[in-house]
Amino acid sequence: MTQANRIDAYIAALSRALRGFSEPDRQDILQEIRAHLDHRDGEGRLDEALKSLGSPQDCARGFSEELKLQQAFTDRGPARTFAALFALASQRLTAAVGLLISGVFFLFAAGFAFTAFYELVTPELAGLWSNPDSGSFFFGVIDSGSLPETRDLLGPWLFPVAALLTLASLLMGQWLGRLFIRLLMRRPRMLG
Amino acid sequence: MYLAIQGVMDIESWKSQLRKGAAELAVLALLAKGDRSGTGLLDELALRPDVGLSDGSIYPLLSRMEREGRIAGEWHTPEDGGRGQKRYRLTPEGAAALRHMRAAWMRFQSDLSLVLGDPT
Repeated sequence: MTQANRIDAYIAALSRALRGFSEPDRQDILQEIRAHLDHRDGEGRLDEALKSLGSPQDCARGFSEELKLQQAFTDRGPARTFAALFALASQRLTAAVGLLISGVFFLFAAGFAFTAFYELVTPELAGLWSNPDSGSFFFGVIDSGSLPETRDLLGPWLFPVAALLTLASLLMGQWLGRLFIRLLMRRPRMLG
Repeated sequence: MYLAIQGVMDIESWKSQLRKGAAELAVLALLAKGDRSGTGLLDELALRPDVGLSDGSIYPLLSRMEREGRIAGEWHTPEDGGRGQKRYRLTPEGAAALRHMRAAWMRFQSDLSLVLGDPT
């Protein structure tokens, strides 16, 4: 295989690996990587350049990660932040930890929202419940069989408290998610 | 022997931590001296391997910095018809980011030097 054929084969594989990109972005990346390989080939350093770029899939992943992180950072929405952490979790430990921690807060938000919704539909089953016998507390929805043993501590305040806790959990999950996105952006994946 | 290998591995991990954020600062600083292609940046950084930018990491970084508006890329084709190269220049936003990052880096370096003291 000639050097030109090796470059063509690499670019063709990279083009397939960049399927998720818009056509202008994909062409721009392919053109730049081809120019880089041609330049290194002219210097007799093609092998070194191919080794340093990594496999076409690794090379594409580098662009894909940077794009996801940048989109998540610019978008500021919880969905894009969570999606970026989810997409990178299998490759980056920082993303996995971020996904886990922000995910816990998003789950809390879902639980509080569910309780607030239940308070509107079936108020007698939703509440901050206290069981004087066992000394335990429970925030959420209980089954009607447990009603005689428990006491609702919040009463009509449940809905505003649950709504506030939903918002606080969402904001906390989003803030932590963005903190981890910022950490990931400060550390390019293939350094060194 | 194990402890010696472990020590080297810890230093490598620590160096990797040090490189956080430094790659972008290095690229901005080089572009402040003049327009450069990705290959040109890599050639200059080859003399400074501890900065830690490789062929595989520089192009995704340049792509992101361009989307963020800190640098602008433009294709240049040689007059003899050879293959062109994308050359990058610093934008006003990039120049402002460089000023802030450089000042923060200088303060960090100065404070750490005082903490470390004279090695002798």
